[in-house]
Parts: sequence; structure tokens; C-alpha cells
Amino acid sequence: MPDPIHQFDINRIIPINVGGWDVSFTNSALFMVLATVLTVGIIMMATRTASLVPTRLQSTVEIGYEFVANMLRDSMGKEGMKYFPFVFTLFIFIFMCNMLGMIPGAFTVTSHIIVTAALAAMVFLTVLVIGFAKNGLHFLKLFVPSGVPVLVLPLVTLIEIISFLSRPVSHSVRLFANMLAGHITLKVFAGFVVMLLGTGTYAFLAPLPLLMAIALIALEFLVSFLQAYVFTMLTCMYLNDALHPGH
Amino acid sequence: MSDPPDKRGRIPGEMTPEERARFEGRVSDLGGRLDRVRARQTAEEDADRDAVLRGRGMAYGMRMAAELVAAVIVGGIIGWALDWVFGSKPWFFLLFFILGFAAGALNVMRAYEKMQREFTARTGGRIGQDIKDDDD
Repeated sequence: MPDPIHQFDINRIIPINVGGWDVSFTNSALFMVLATVLTVGIIMMATRTASLVPTRLQSTVEIGYEFVANMLRDSMGKEGMKYFPFVFTLFIFIFMCNMLGMIPGAFTVTSHIIVTAALAAMVFLTVLVIGFAKNGLHFLKLFVPSGVPVLVLPLVTLIEIISFLSRPVSHSVRLFANMLAGHITLKVFAGFVVMLLGTGTYAFLAPLPLLMAIALIALEFLVSFLQAYVFTMLTCMYLNDALHPGH
Repeated sequence: MSDPPDKRGRIPGEMTPEERARFEGRVSDLGGRLDRVRARQTAEEDADRDAVLRGRGMAYGMRMAAELVAAVIVGGIIGWALDWVFGSKPWFFLLFFILGFAAGALNVMRAYEKMQREFTARTGGRIGQDIKDDDD
């Protein structure tokens, strides 16, 4: 049976070693660059001939813009648009990586927890910086809910702090786990097709897992989009907390 | 004032009874065909919406699980680190493990509240009934 984990192997394409650190250009890096270049290319192409009556490409890009802009406005109001470049970049990058991963044989960048953890840590630090810059020490109110008896306040504060610290963990694990699990399931079902074909007598059953694999591909496309959406949505939520601490 | 009759002795725009009968037959036939196409389309749309809702449900489910587990893990790690610093194995770990669980429950509760607000906003308080999608 083909190894369903093999697709997540990191391979060095251009080995680079800087002062004992391995900073090789890997297949993961290649797909990140690809996602970035493709995004920039598509957006440039679409806006180069920008007109009032948009072409198909231009309206696709405009839908993407409106989608993220609405998400920001819904969660933070108008002042949220200040963070549009950050949030839009996050969304498009994750979306592009997920979608590139759906190409057979391609590498899925977001199926590695180190990538999603880096993205989540970036959001976490941004929230901390914005929170303290905008509210000063008032930002700590986030951990002290109002209307709690003084006796249990230390306990509640402790729980709130743990809850806050768990955000980047769940933020990154969700995206990573979804992509990893989806791609493994897909590979396993595809493997069943090959295995059944090899058995001879039961080869006539092979179309069954094939149908399942096809259905899973459709679901995977949906998950690819949904997870990019959820990641961005949560980013908006956390940024909103940074602007308005104290529930 | 009427139009002059054409070569076959008919007034343009007038229909003979047979023609009218045929025309009405065509119209009702067209209506039936339209109904069939429409029925097929709504069935397809329903199936699409089902798939979207199921995907969204799975996403929400995964989210709840991640919220709970993440807080427990973070609590555990904090406790373990404190134990390591103070050499008080296993007391801080036990305490923070439990606190982590409480934080996880809090996370899930908050996430659910938010989800419910979203649904209430989208359905106008009629939770459990047909949910309009963003794009229809």
C-alpha cells in the first residue's frame, strides 16, 4: 500500500547551510513562494486593466477583496479596515497554499504544524502589540472579567490567562489538523483502490473507494476554503479583543 | 381601422381556432417543462446547501474540540514548567491541568455563544430552521 504520510516529507531542493543552521530551500518553501507569486501575479493581472465593467478575473479578485473587507467590518466596524492588509495577506496566503495542496502531487504547506504555528504566533504577537499600544495597561482588563466576587477573582483571572494562551494553540492546530487529516484520508482511500485492483477476485469492488475518494476531494476543496475562512475569522475576533478589551 | 387581409384572406395578428389550440398546448407544455427544470434545480441547490452546511458543521465541531484540547494542553505545560522550576512534582501540573480544563470549557462556551449570535443574526432567531447562506 502507498504510504499515506509520504506526501508530507520535506525535501531539500537547494541545500543551504548558514553557520551550522540548515536553511535549505525545501519543497515547502517552494510552494510558499509559488503561492505568493501566483497571488501577486493574479492580482496584478486582474487590476492592470481595471475597468468599471470588470472582466472575469477582475471580479474574482474583487470578490476576494469584498469577502475579507466584510469580515473585518462585521467584527470590528470601520476602524478594522486599518488591519486589512495584514488580514487579507493571511487569508490569501492560507487559501492559496490550501488550494495548491489540492493539486495531485503538490505539497500542502499548511499540513505542517510549524507553518500554521508560525502564522498563529504572528497573529498572537500582533494582538499583544496592538492591545498594549492602543490600551496600555487597560489591555490586562481582558483577563479580569467584571462583576466577579473578589474571592474567586484570582482563580478566574488564572483561568482567563490560560484561555488566552491557548488561543494560538487551537488557532494553529485547527488548520494543521484539518489539512493533515483530509489529505491522509484522501490518500488512504486512493490506496484502497490500488489494493483492491491487486487482489484479483475482489477487483470489481475497486470503484467503491474510488467514488469515496471523489466525494472526499469535493469535501477537501470545501475544507480548504473553510479553514482559510475560519483562520481569518478568528484573527478578526482576536484583533477585536485587542481594540476593545473587557468583554 | 383594421389591417388589410393578406393573400390567404386572414387578418394579420389573428389566430384561427386550431392555431390558438396549438399555441395554448405549446404554452402549457412549456410551463410543465419549466416546472420540471425548476424542481431539478432546487433539488440540486438543496444538495449543495446540505454539503456546505455539513462542511460548516464539521468545521465548527473541529473548532470546539480544538478549543477544549488546546486549553488543557496549555494548562498542563504551564503546570509542568512550574513543577520543573520549583521541583514540586506533580502538584502544579495537577492544579494547572484542572485549570486548563476549566479554561477549555470557557473557550467552548464562548465559541458557542458567538456561533449562536451569528446564527441568530442570520435566521432572525429561528434557530434550527432553514439557514440562508451568505451567497444566496
